[in-house]
Amino acid sequence: MRNLSRPHPLTLAVVRHKLKSVAEEMVDTMIRTSFSPILNQSHDLSAVIHDAEGRMLAQAERVPIHMGAMPFAVKAMMRAFAGDVHEGDILIANDPYWGGNHLPDVTLAMPVFDGGQIRLWVANRAHQGDIGGMSAGGFSGNASEIFHEGIRIPPCKLAERGRVREDLLRLIVENTRKPEDMMGDLRAQLAAVHVGVDRMRALFDRYGADEIDRCSAAILDAAEAAMRAQFRRWTPGVYRGESVLDDDGRGNQRIPVRATVTIEDDHATVDLTDSADQLASFVNSPYANTAACVYVAFMYMATDDQTHNEGCFRPIRIITRTGSICDPVSPAPVVGSSVLTSTVIMEAVMKAMEKAAPRDMIAGYARRFRFAIAGKDREGRSYIWHYFANRGGAGATAETDGWPNLGVIHNPGGARSPSVERTESSFPFLIESFALRPDSGGAGTTRGGLGGVYRLRYEGAEPAVLNAAGEGVEVGPYGVAGGAIGACHDYRIESARGERRLGTKESGVAIETGDVVVCRSAGGGGFGDPDRRDPARTAADRADGYVTH
Amino acid sequence: MAEHNAPGFGNLGLVIRIGVDIGGTFTDVVVLGEDDGRLWTAKAMTTPTDPSIGVLDGLALVAERIDRPLRTLLGACSLFIHGTTVATNLLVERKGARLGLLTTEGFRDVMELREGTKPRRYDLRMPFPAPLIARRHRLEVPERVRYDGRIERPLDEAAAAARIASLREAGVEALVICLLHAHRHPAHEDRLAALATANGWRAYVSLSHRVLPREGEYDRLSTAAVNAYVGPGLARYLERLQERLDAAGGQFKVLVMQSTGGVLPLAEATAFAVGSVLSGPAGGAMAGALFARLTAAPLLVTCDMGGTSTDISVIEHGAPVERHEHEMSDVKICAPAIDIAALGAGGGSIARLDSGGLLEVGPESAGAAPGPACYGRGGTLPTVTDANLVLGYLAPGSFLGGRLRLDRAAAEHAVRTAIAAPLAIGLEDAAYAIHTLTNSRIAEGIRAATVRRGYDPRDAVLLGFGGAAGLHMVAVARDLSIPRVVVPNHASVLSALGFLASDVRHDSLAAIGQPFAALAPAALRKTIDALETEGRARLRADGFADADIVAQRLFDCRYLRQAYTVEVPIAPDRLAEDGLDWLTRDFAAAYERLYFHSHPGETAVVETVRVVTSGKLPPLDLPTHPRGAADPTPAATGTRRVWLEGWHEIPVFAFDALVHGMAFAGPALVESESTTVLVPDGARAATDAHGSLVIGTR
Repeated sequence: MRNLSRPHPLTLAVVRHKLKSVAEEMVDTMIRTSFSPILNQSHDLSAVIHDAEGRMLAQAERVPIHMGAMPFAVKAMMRAFAGDVHEGDILIANDPYWGGNHLPDVTLAMPVFDGGQIRLWVANRAHQGDIGGMSAGGFSGNASEIFHEGIRIPPCKLAERGRVREDLLRLIVENTRKPEDMMGDLRAQLAAVHVGVDRMRALFDRYGADEIDRCSAAILDAAEAAMRAQFRRWTPGVYRGESVLDDDGRGNQRIPVRATVTIEDDHATVDLTDSADQLASFVNSPYANTAACVYVAFMYMATDDQTHNEGCFRPIRIITRTGSICDPVSPAPVVGSSVLTSTVIMEAVMKAMEKAAPRDMIAGYARRFRFAIAGKDREGRSYIWHYFANRGGAGATAETDGWPNLGVIHNPGGARSPSVERTESSFPFLIESFALRPDSGGAGTTRGGLGGVYRLRYEGAEPAVLNAAGEGVEVGPYGVAGGAIGACHDYRIESARGERRLGTKESGVAIETGDVVVCRSAGGGGFGDPDRRDPARTAADRADGYVTH
Repeated sequence: MAEHNAPGFGNLGLVIRIGVDIGGTFTDVVVLGEDDGRLWTAKAMTTPTDPSIGVLDGLALVAERIDRPLRTLLGACSLFIHGTTVATNLLVERKGARLGLLTTEGFRDVMELREGTKPRRYDLRMPFPAPLIARRHRLEVPERVRYDGRIERPLDEAAAAARIASLREAGVEALVICLLHAHRHPAHEDRLAALATANGWRAYVSLSHRVLPREGEYDRLSTAAVNAYVGPGLARYLERLQERLDAAGGQFKVLVMQSTGGVLPLAEATAFAVGSVLSGPAGGAMAGALFARLTAAPLLVTCDMGGTSTDISVIEHGAPVERHEHEMSDVKICAPAIDIAALGAGGGSIARLDSGGLLEVGPESAGAAPGPACYGRGGTLPTVTDANLVLGYLAPGSFLGGRLRLDRAAAEHAVRTAIAAPLAIGLEDAAYAIHTLTNSRIAEGIRAATVRRGYDPRDAVLLGFGGAAGLHMVAVARDLSIPRVVVPNHASVLSALGFLASDVRHDSLAAIGQPFAALAPAALRKTIDALETEGRARLRADGFADADIVAQRLFDCRYLRQAYTVEVPIAPDRLAEDGLDWLTRDFAAAYERLYFHSHPGETAVVETVRVVTSGKLPPLDLPTHPRGAADPTPAATGTRRVWLEGWHEIPVFAFDALVHGMAFAGPALVESESTTVLVPDGARAATDAHGSLVIGTR
């Protein structure tokens, strides 16, 4: 007969679906009620449900990098208020040195009580459009200390026993450039945790808190078992992988992240000790971000459909060196970690796995190259335009060519690009072309996805300013098993004064009327020996002009 | 529709309307007598290679049933409404026309860049969906229009002619023309179309500014490409069907069901082929609208549970809720269509233990072949239908009117082997777990479909139909605290019945793209009047009198910095006002209803104006029966042993024998040829005037 310390299999199956749909409903609530376009349009937000110990049980499938990192934030908040959390309390934090990724990501967590004790936590995270700091928009590329990057919120109580602390709310929003938007977005996050708590209470009423506890344990165990089975399918051994950042924007080139991955039986150890020392640049990756990258790398590599919860993190042990780029100490700045360094950490881990899991490898993706143009529009109003239409190619896998224009592995295909027509009708730009970049994908038995060519002519009456925060100009997306490296990003400014190449982290570049910014984005890495590519596919590539030689 | 009311209804003695719905397995036919509301129905096997054969088969079955020649039946038909998945299948199976593209120089790859999006965040091994137009057939023409409609560079006609010639040479069957900002200045697209057909090339031509006259090049291109991809195949099919019907004695023009729940005459349906791609579940939603009216439900949720999936739609104040952006088979379609959420949970959904050992149902389905284990056609994996058979909810001998005998031992073996034994639980517990998990998944699907739009499911009536719904609806309703479930007696052909509740509908659209403050009411009036005049003219050409034409006007508005628009209806007298203060107020109110806040003072923009003109077809009324006695005993057929957390012997009623007024308390089963309804303990069921089962869930 069945073991009574385990939940009923039916309750377990139902509860697992309910947890996931409650997380989705929290995300929906935030999307519907938030103010900023980055939330209600780009959906840079997420929601999770944790057990009483802060272990993540279920997530709404949104930004992968948030997922791996949320448990650290929630656990840091729980520790900060251990023994002092009451029904109706809501905790808030964004500090990377208290379990956060970077300051723009603000996390709220609310306990679910039953019978006078905490049974679960619901939490959500939203990337705020502005968080104060040196420059608008949350990314302060010139920061040399975290104090330059915005307001730090260590774990605080945003609500106490059901009452929102309006004073604290004001303190936070008045430290940003868009206080009304931030207020709206925080209220959306508050609404969402309440929705989560209400739905969870209904679940307790139906099944009882003890049975839900048993379900939580079983859900984590199931994901753990699936991940352990996956490790058993990979070849045991000690493997090394290295990937490098192009530079830190402050004169340091080729900054390494080194991963030593040890696969033993059904578990793995990832040692990042040999990575570079921390820098006075925003590329440092706080521990939560680093750990999230390692977890997400294994979730991508896994061929199993195991549920994505903290159980699958259990067989993975992570070792970092305090004071390194993968585990910096305050006051190192960190805001670039989630979009720039994340990719490099994942690359190092995945490259290490090439011998252990040759068929499950994923070749390199185009790295993030983001820039913004600030100026005056046709009506004379100030604007900041963020460039992210032309993302670059995805890496090939054993069976599939990489996708074109998918870009960045830390959030592949997550946000929809604005149309050329909307860009032209809203900003003083003429887009001369946006097309695939032939020959940019790394050759292979399966080839890398193509990058693009985006030509933007600036037509504003007054000069504008361009700020870049990118990667992948010197380092191209890696190939796997004899597959070729993808083409690097190549960004230039063509003007009457001549042509200049755009560096990865240049700030304050002046743009004048008639100047053209030409963005050639990176192609994905190839997989396997190019000579073994199916001749029919090679012929089709030529006929369609994906490859010209 | 005067011209369809041709004389000569033969000796049938009445005027009839016919609805025909082609599904994956069956072609459903509903025939309705206009005078007395009598209904005849038939199911024929769908004939995939030429679906018009199955249509004629189904019609012949009805003719047989009323003992009249097919010619007489068709001769009496005043209105023939047809829903087909031909266009859908062409897209899903990637069997559409060979396409070519002419586009603005510099932009041949817009389709393949896909706006940088990809579904399934963690699945990096998903193959790239091949674009509908191969790159070698995507050609650029020198021309450029600016965002405000100014011509930056005139169209190079000589170059264009050369590109057209090379596409024709390459065997292109349908031509897509999509130029930047064509919604602002359509002349270049029109000129290219004229050039393409000038030398006698008879390609199907799809112009982006005709299919979708609004900003967004990817949306216009993708939608125009789908239109061209399915257009020629749909045209061939519809023409063949019309010929067959004409030859068999029909004196009517086929009306084609659209994704909006409206219908279009054949020629227009062919020109706007993309309009039928998402029409599959539209009939069910229209039936939902009909029952919302019959049951006076301000909010109704339809739940159509078939073999592989469950389709959910929301009917608010008698009209299905629509969306203007959809994804089908990895292709974006921007055309109005009823918003239908499809869940991978149906009777054929397979139950399994996942890699972590937890029970899961669907989305994999055993389909019709091999089908559930109990079908005895080679399926060995347990499905929802198998679980329902093990629990006694389905009877081995009464499924599909006894035409398919179910193998209970095979179902038990499948459930035991795959679920009960590995979980170390009893056979009935395992089957009940499959049944209940299915209920839970459907309930969560309905919650998402309602809550997401700001509706509270507790205010809704749940309408369950499709073969598999009856066994699950009350449990689903209870999970959501929905007080009332309705299961129509015609549950299995409801979609075809819903067709007969439709109107002929034209959607027209114009791009505005201006802030509220920059709008002149007089100019707006002119634009809207022009759209309405066009819609009315088309309906008059379809044979409608002015008195039967209704127009609805809407703005799509957004805040300047936002991407998504909100619909603001325009009341008829509003446009006579001098100012647009009402628009600011109505937009804020519409925004608040959806998002619980608005942004006073923020610049708001009218993106597009839309006019929906409808030609009213005669309203559909189901026959009503006088109320009789409450005692259901005359409809009782016996009892059956079923598992309801323990074996119980419960009464069984024949659905067809239940008449208006009969009422009973659960637990009980209600059976018809095509469906079985479970009325659990604590629920109360009664038959209403239309023969529907109305169940109070608590």
